Amino acid sequence: MSSKRKCSPLSSIGKKQIMGATGLLLCGFLVTHFVGNCTLFLGPAAFNKYSHALTSNPLIYLAEAALLGLFLAHILMAIKLVIENKKARPVEYHTYIKSGRGGTFASKTMPYTGIIALVFLVIHILGLKFGTQYSTTIDGIEMRDIYKTTIEYFQDPLHIVFYIISMIALGIHTSHGFWSAFQSLGLSHPKYMPKIQLASKLFGLFVVIGFSSLPIFCYLQGGH
Amino acid sequence: MTSENSKFKKLDGNVPTGPIADRWKSHKFHMKLVNPANKRKYSVIVVGTGLAGASAAASMAELGYNVTTFCIQDSPRRAHSIAAQGGINSSKNYPNDGDSVYRLFYDTVKGGDYRARESNVYRLAEVSSGIIDQCVAQGVPFAREYGGTLSNRSFGGAQVSRTFYARGQTGQQLLLGAYSAMMKEVHKGTIKSYTRREMTDLVMVDGKARGIVVRNVVTGEFEKYTADAIILATGGYGNVYYLSTNAKASNASAAFRAYKKGAYFANPCYTQIHPTCIPVSGDHQSKLTLMSESLRNDGRVWVPKVKGDKRSPDLIPENERDYFLERIYPSFGNLVPRDVASRNAKLQCDAGFGVSATGKAVYLDFADAIKRKGEDKIRAEYGNLFEMYERITDHNPYKMPMMIYPAIHYTMGGLWVDYNLMSNIPGLFVLGEANFSDHGANRLGASALMQGLADGYFVIPYTIGNYFASGKFEKIDLTHPEFEKALQESSSKYKKLLAINGNKTVNEFHKALGHIMWEYVGMGRNEAGLQKAISEIQALREDFWKNVKVSGSSVDVNTELEKAGRVADFLDLGELMALDALERKESCGGHFREESQTPENEAMRDDENFCHVAAWEYQGDGAKPIRNIEELKFETVKLTQRSYK
Amino acid sequence: MGGNSTDTMSLNLKVWRQKNNKDKGQMVDYKLDGVSPDMSFLEMMDTLNTKLIKEQGDTIAFDHDCREGICGMCSMMINGQAHGPEAETTTCQLHMRKFKTGDTIVVEPWRAKAFPVLKDLMVDRGAFDQIIAAGGYVNVNTGNPQDANAILIGQENAELAMDAAACIGCGACVASCKNASAMLFVSAKISQLALLPQGAVESEARTQAMVAKMDELGFGNCTNEAECEAQCPKGIKIENIARMNREWFKGALGSRN
Repeated sequence: MSSKRKCSPLSSIGKKQIMGATGLLLCGFLVTHFVGNCTLFLGPAAFNKYSHALTSNPLIYLAEAALLGLFLAHILMAIKLVIENKKARPVEYHTYIKSGRGGTFASKTMPYTGIIALVFLVIHILGLKFGTQYSTTIDGIEMRDIYKTTIEYFQDPLHIVFYIISMIALGIHTSHGFWSAFQSLGLSHPKYMPKIQLASKLFGLFVVIGFSSLPIFCYLQGGH
Repeated sequence: MTSENSKFKKLDGNVPTGPIADRWKSHKFHMKLVNPANKRKYSVIVVGTGLAGASAAASMAELGYNVTTFCIQDSPRRAHSIAAQGGINSSKNYPNDGDSVYRLFYDTVKGGDYRARESNVYRLAEVSSGIIDQCVAQGVPFAREYGGTLSNRSFGGAQVSRTFYARGQTGQQLLLGAYSAMMKEVHKGTIKSYTRREMTDLVMVDGKARGIVVRNVVTGEFEKYTADAIILATGGYGNVYYLSTNAKASNASAAFRAYKKGAYFANPCYTQIHPTCIPVSGDHQSKLTLMSESLRNDGRVWVPKVKGDKRSPDLIPENERDYFLERIYPSFGNLVPRDVASRNAKLQCDAGFGVSATGKAVYLDFADAIKRKGEDKIRAEYGNLFEMYERITDHNPYKMPMMIYPAIHYTMGGLWVDYNLMSNIPGLFVLGEANFSDHGANRLGASALMQGLADGYFVIPYTIGNYFASGKFEKIDLTHPEFEKALQESSSKYKKLLAINGNKTVNEFHKALGHIMWEYVGMGRNEAGLQKAISEIQALREDFWKNVKVSGSSVDVNTELEKAGRVADFLDLGELMALDALERKESCGGHFREESQTPENEAMRDDENFCHVAAWEYQGDGAKPIRNIEELKFETVKLTQRSYK
Repeated sequence: MGGNSTDTMSLNLKVWRQKNNKDKGQMVDYKLDGVSPDMSFLEMMDTLNTKLIKEQGDTIAFDHDCREGICGMCSMMINGQAHGPEAETTTCQLHMRKFKTGDTIVVEPWRAKAFPVLKDLMVDRGAFDQIIAAGGYVNVNTGNPQDANAILIGQENAELAMDAAACIGCGACVASCKNASAMLFVSAKISQLALLPQGAVESEARTQAMVAKMDELGFGNCTNEAECEAQCPKGIKIENIARMNREWFKGALGSRN
């Protein structure tokens, strides 16, 4: 064993740890995003004020850049992993059966649920952040009426269905990704692992139910 | 002297003199050393990477020698040392129960039925302590007590707890330790490791062992390698019997090739039979599986009192069962030594009392132990063995008695070596089970691992230096005619095998040989049987070279061709074993001559005529080999008759 | 009792045949009668080979040695599972009573870029040796180390180290992983040595060296699906992979270059 250390971030473990770390941070984003969006339930003023506070802060560019960085790192690593993993077995098996004792549906579908989440992300940003611009004045300050955009956007049942399907995919993705990150970072322990795995499933469930409640709420606010 | 051949030699084991406890120390001092800077100028070939080979290769490479290793498997880590379950003996005396170097030495000499060289055995006991230190330093995960110290157990009827173990996988863990040490040197470039190579000949130049020819079993090509010394650590020859607990690739070819080049083969008739193996289930059986001897601590061995009683064992009432070991040996009962237990099981089966569809099994019953200790206790002690038994036989030993039968397990005989572990061919060293070594006529449990590692870690690194420092070594070119000749001979042997294209498979011949060996050169041997064995083997060999069918070609992988090459050697070795057994007209350890037994049917030695090693010297195919002898002197331990009544 | 069932089975076998490393290879169908339920899977293959010899064919090459589940030499993908359907069982210990007459059994070699096929079902697992050579040891020479009992090791860590050390290096983890990753094998050795004081000293450097070698040899990445654990004949746990990841992370944080 040579004394020269070899710990490239692009080694197999490095990549996994980048996946895990960025994944966990993105989970953190999901939580803050949800908490912020809960202002929707409080009515237009609260939501618009929250949104204005967020977007008028000059640090938002830094935050958005960081977020973009996380997404890009997570996605690029995922693409690299999928390509490398494909290469590691150039000849496929004639018959290949999962024992059923190991992988789960979530673990097997990570690339697919990830792609759904990515497509959703683009459509989501285009439809809302870059959606119809309205403005409103609250407490004498002129600001974007993002509440109106949101309520309008979710009057289309197609939008709601797509949103919920995407959240189910993201929920499945995080239900494996959350505990998996702990495993990749080496933060696992036989005593705590079952709890972390349970927490992972609950997190996935939270993503599905929590986020899905938003478009349904918006739909109902639209005079239905 | 029993040999008719008057040309026999009296061999000198080069044993140092002086008090036995100082011999190795003084020998180490008197041996010549190779200057550290000069070590890299010497090269060593090691054939076989089990405990002895891997530990030797690693230790010599660490010293600075250029080492090249060869193994038949796809990795050095797979050698059959890996299958040893029980443990490794050492005279550490950690449990404070009275063990010492002297006691381990004494037990080993006595256990070997006074047919081992005292000085070698003493050295073995002496270095045994260092082996444990070395293995622990390497990270071998031995069993521990709660306080973090090493755990010991008593094994194979020993009266002290001197056995260190790593669950039931001690051999595996020790081998992986030696393999890791070896791979460390591979990384440094001091060892070059070749896998999937089978040694087909030894090359001698000017009377010294200077190289080998191997067959690359992937390409089918023959390759030549040269070195200043050759070490054979190629294991035992139990597979002569076809069914044994040895791995399928375990073979005697390397050792037997060396024999044909003039190395003496010592005590080939000394074989060990293990009593607690899983019986044969049918003709398809390819190998036997051993279960730890510890089972006899709680299991009771019995057969029905009525011949051919086909009732299920739970329907046979207590008074219709014959607990024959308890009946014949009331004081030791089911815990009599391996050979005694094995022989009695076979006697019962031969007399028609055997159970199972084949009639070749006896019961090992845990019902009483389960009643006495409770099923949980039994599960805790033997759970993994019971599971293994059930996996193989589909019978639940908690409900029904196990069935067991003896099987060939270890061979004490092997190439003759002196105190330096060098054969009579200068530069040819033999380590581990491959040499005739330290176990005499019978090996104690947990001593094989000890001997393999003692030879590799602590003996050969010293003695090989002495050999190098004592002579001159010119560089040999691989184009040397001796290499060419050896390569041609190897190649033509395999061509010949392929060309026969007869009508019987290699396995059929191997099974037939195994049958002869088991019947006549097995647990009980007698003159008529041994003579019969010799003539039957000769006939079988003739048939083999006329009628064997080897499919495939000489290029690429051809496992049938590999097997054929090995069986050809087994046929010769089997005859030599029978001959050795015939000429040793005494019983000792694993060699039981029915003509030589006490009134209690115990093995009876003939110290007057046979207190020696028989070292066979090849005289050409078809010619009777010469039986050279090395007298065994017992200056420290007194010869006594063992008794287990 | 004994010689359990006298009924023999007839099987349809689909076996991968490939002459050598350069040949393309294909699946070939065989019919085999007279298979006893007491046979091991390898004995069934022996029987098929005997039939092939009698029919003037070339025998099917497969790796095997100890036939008692410890050497790690046998390596068959049986019906899409490494070492077949039975949990914690090597191919040599799998018995034909797990199958029934008329079954079709698909037998393939381990498939991985790092394990090239040599012939039929025989693959080259030399990559594992290379990974061990990169660092799978304690750097200690033969000599006079301290007394064995001078190193105290708590029973719990000793047992965990032994759990990891039980790896037989058969490659079932690589074969069963959808990414042909060798993480379970590599982590078992890293874990064993990281758990023991003798090996802990150089654990970070060892981890980096072994992981670098594993990557270089073309094994895939771990995606935490635990299929390796499920199909490991010795029940090696993926908590070892987590321990390896931790050792690697510690090394990455503490690295000076």
